[in-house]
Amino acid sequence: MKLENQLDSLSRRSFCEKWAKASLGVTVLHGLGGRAFAADGPGFGKAKNVIFLQMIGGMSHIDTLDPKDGPTQGPKAPIKTKADLQLGGTMENLAKQADKISIIRSMTSKTGVHASGQYLIRSGYEQRGTIQHPNIGAWAQHFKGASHKTLPSSVCVNRQPNAGNGFFPASYSPLPILDPDAGLQYSRSDVSDEVMRKRLAMLDKLDAGFRERFQTAGVKSYTEFYEKTVSIMSSTDLEAFRLDAEPDALKEKYGRNKFGQGCLLARRLVEKGIRYIEVASGGWDMHNNIEEGLEEKGTELDVALAALLEDLQSRGLLETTLVVLCSEFGRGPKINGNAGRDHHPRVFSTMLAGGGVKGGFVYGSSDKEGFSVADKQVSVQDFLSTIGWSLGLPVDEVVMSPTNRPFTVGDKGRPVMDVFA
Amino acid sequence: MKTRYFAFFASVLLTIGLRAENEVYRTWTDSQGRKLEATFRGIEDGQVFLQIRNGYVYRLPLDKLSAADQEAARTLKPQGLGIPADPNLAQAAARIDMLVDAGLAKAGQKPNPLASDEQFVRRVYLDIAGRIPTREEALEFITDTSVSKRAKVIDKLLNSEGYRSHLFNYFADMLRVADVAQKARFYTYQDWLKGQIAENTPWDKLVFTMMTADGKLLDNGATGYLLRDAGMRLDNLSLTLSTFLGANVSCAQCHDHPFADWTQRQFYEMAAFFGATETYGTRGSKGYGMQNMRRVLASIDDRRIQQQAKNILRVNAMAVEDGSENDLKLPDDYKYPDGKPGDLVKPKLVTWADDKTKKAYQGVQTKNEEDLRTQFAKWMTSPDNPRFAMTIANRLWKRAFGVGIKEPVTDLDDPNASVNPALLHHLATEMVRLKFDMKQFMRLLYNTQAYQREATSHELADGGPYLFPGPVLRRMSAEQAWDSCATLVVGAEVDKFHAHRGQTYAEVMKIDFGEGATKESIVADIEKAARGMRQYGGTKGAAKNKKKRPMQPLISGGDDSIEVAPPVRNGLVLARASELPQPEKDQHFLRMFGQSDRQIADSSSDEGSIPQVLMLMNGEAQRVIGQNDSLVIQTATAQKSPEQQVESLYLSFFSRKPKPDELADAVAALGSGLTMRDLSWVLFNTREFVFVE
Repeated sequence: MKLENQLDSLSRRSFCEKWAKASLGVTVLHGLGGRAFAADGPGFGKAKNVIFLQMIGGMSHIDTLDPKDGPTQGPKAPIKTKADLQLGGTMENLAKQADKISIIRSMTSKTGVHASGQYLIRSGYEQRGTIQHPNIGAWAQHFKGASHKTLPSSVCVNRQPNAGNGFFPASYSPLPILDPDAGLQYSRSDVSDEVMRKRLAMLDKLDAGFRERFQTAGVKSYTEFYEKTVSIMSSTDLEAFRLDAEPDALKEKYGRNKFGQGCLLARRLVEKGIRYIEVASGGWDMHNNIEEGLEEKGTELDVALAALLEDLQSRGLLETTLVVLCSEFGRGPKINGNAGRDHHPRVFSTMLAGGGVKGGFVYGSSDKEGFSVADKQVSVQDFLSTIGWSLGLPVDEVVMSPTNRPFTVGDKGRPVMDVFA
Repeated sequence: MKTRYFAFFASVLLTIGLRAENEVYRTWTDSQGRKLEATFRGIEDGQVFLQIRNGYVYRLPLDKLSAADQEAARTLKPQGLGIPADPNLAQAAARIDMLVDAGLAKAGQKPNPLASDEQFVRRVYLDIAGRIPTREEALEFITDTSVSKRAKVIDKLLNSEGYRSHLFNYFADMLRVADVAQKARFYTYQDWLKGQIAENTPWDKLVFTMMTADGKLLDNGATGYLLRDAGMRLDNLSLTLSTFLGANVSCAQCHDHPFADWTQRQFYEMAAFFGATETYGTRGSKGYGMQNMRRVLASIDDRRIQQQAKNILRVNAMAVEDGSENDLKLPDDYKYPDGKPGDLVKPKLVTWADDKTKKAYQGVQTKNEEDLRTQFAKWMTSPDNPRFAMTIANRLWKRAFGVGIKEPVTDLDDPNASVNPALLHHLATEMVRLKFDMKQFMRLLYNTQAYQREATSHELADGGPYLFPGPVLRRMSAEQAWDSCATLVVGAEVDKFHAHRGQTYAEVMKIDFGEGATKESIVADIEKAARGMRQYGGTKGAAKNKKKRPMQPLISGGDDSIEVAPPVRNGLVLARASELPQPEKDQHFLRMFGQSDRQIADSSSDEGSIPQVLMLMNGEAQRVIGQNDSLVIQTATAQKSPEQQVESLYLSFFSRKPKPDELADAVAALGSGLTMRDLSWVLFNTREFVFVE
């Protein structure tokens, strides 16, 4: 148990890696919470990939996934869709894909602060100053290993990785793509291929003595990172990050903006075998003039999400790809003095599609105003457990962090089984 | 105290017998026939230095020795590290070495050989001053023939600007020092901390000041510690206990610790010492609470100013003050039989299981609840607290050796579970003996043989404890790597720039609500502050927009101070990491190389990643280092022959000359199409550059 006393390498993080390896077989405690899920239940492991769309700032549920009539209705009236559910007036394109989606309208959380809400919905845990919690991509890598032999298993688009690996090794952290049009940062050298080849040959030569003398885990791991990086730079793998290869018409269809192109990139990455892709869209904190905000961000979301669902399906990828739409909280029913809506964690909505999820389905509900949960409350923890379940992760398995604290996928939440077909 | 100290060592001596097995003792005789069994440490200015078995180093005039021994002193090769700075230091260092060697011997392990001058100079610059030595600094040390040069360079670096910068980085990671927290700027906290490091304030005093600080953040930077977690006193306490006392209590914040002894009730009893302390401006009577701010705000009619005023007032409302009563209650979900949710909790100090013989300072019970925090701080920082000295000693040991005697350093609940309990206890005693003087403590560690040995080159057999045959091979910290890059480009000048943002910020932002303040004067203050705030790019974090000027350096303006701005190349501000935004923005070299985001304590990383390696290969840093205006390139280019050019690069990057085969390869490369820039790229991307031997 006192593994920390046997620390034989330099760092806490590299120590983590050892721990993580050990914990696959040794330190995993089963069913600490006294309950277990049958691993062959509906939807379990149907998703091979996840595209996790996170709206940063607090997406108004009333104007998107949980439309209301009457005084709380926003700038646009609810619209009918292809399925037996209504959507906010901005979601015209998504309406045509509604037969592919499940909406959870009874999400709730206690956190009305952006940073902690974003942290919570990404990791399932409250933010603390003592430990970093992993996102679902890192959990998946822990349980299922890497999803690709050279590329990382997780990528995050339009956002920083923010230590998404949590207490798992740094190599589980998502690879950031800050601008989908530009691709992977620094992936192009500023010298010719020939010079780079010569440089690399010299590097190998001049560093050989040191590598020979210091055969430590830290040195070896750097050498591996250099090998991996060079192989990515010179291989066709890098193509995964280059949108140039996509036809212009398709780029248009996703929307010529960072979120739209990010969704297109996510689809490319799924094709290349990358398991977990986060795509962020900022600008949802609509305290002022929500009509204008929705016109821009709402439309971007509507166009890109609809294109993504259609594109995935036409390529036969939707069955094995779970598309998730979420935000740190919703926005209140009351239109404030600045024609906006304020933070509202008490009830909000999320959406799931693909990966064994039912189409045209609504789970839970908010009350008439969209103020509170009316039926079948779902916590953020339940929501993340549902994603974990879809990926085939053992959501009730307790994993000890390097600091010897117990954690589970989605912090002991219960998967929402009803959304699975 | 002293007798116990020596009794303890007598027993250690019995077990291991000798100071170090591999050292040669001979009997020295002076001209009067007195004898001394000692190792020869060297000769300088007619003085002979001899170290006896208990570690004490005698200094004897050469002409006082017998004729035969005078001859021996002139011809013998000095043992060990050369001449130490003072005999007491040598003795104290030797005691640590004894304990390290005893630990190794018990496991049948041998210490590593002593590090070469080249290895030593690079390591000691990086460890003490936080950056690699310049080519000239390295050469100065290597070519110095004096036998006291190691001790001298340690003392020189401990008194350098680099020492302060580097130690600040360590504490910034540990204490989550960030420019922006709670929507305010914490510049005054940073300046206060830098000031404490510059003055070498003893650790107990520094921590006591943070725990008991009062008043506005703008007036008293020391309040920054508590205000960092304003309104979250439980989180703050959890960090306080684990950071300063190695008490692994974070579980107990929400439930009884499943493995250790801590209960949730104990946690709340400790938290009750902060139960009367207000950090959120909602209570409090001294005039800087949030309520007062709101009153002022309401009295302003101009809506435009009202908006600006909000942010400014919030910054002015950041303050610590003590109310008259402790209001800490058990949480709503409290589930243990010894209390009910909502019960008021009385303050009570914890004790440790091994604390039975030596009772920790328990404080003087006082009725005045305003003194609760002081009671806690006295108990925590007391030399008698069984964990306070040990925790910082273990942390600083880790700083020198790369790994703690007990890991993680935030869990010292069971010191006897460490790899060398005798060493750990001894270091705690030394910390107390040195009166928590961190510089003296680090000086002691750097003067040990254990530190001055070669870095361990092999991976230990899986599961084996690390017993300190030498320091471990470490990857540079993000700050060391960045500061070293900057050193390559601009040389030792990089140490000169200091950012003192606190004073300027406080002057701009401070609103006077005192007796004489009128509505008009307050409005004028607010308008002045609003103008000033633009300098800081609004209230949000470090310059978000890349295209903005990289950083507006704010120099504290003493009348005679000369304004210096750090050099900027290709958008990189070449100043020490400690003087740049805390933390740097996400895509900066520092962050990509593992600088902590300052959200989690002690969370800097020394791991590689693909984006990081891409940055090292293709990013701005390699370009700036390899450009013609970079010092390392200029210095190399100025050399006559290709051989000398390569040697110059090697000295700059690795503080050593190239080996013959390396020289031949590099010279051949220069002759076949690779440029100096290419070669600098190669050396920059070696493992040898980023790892510290």
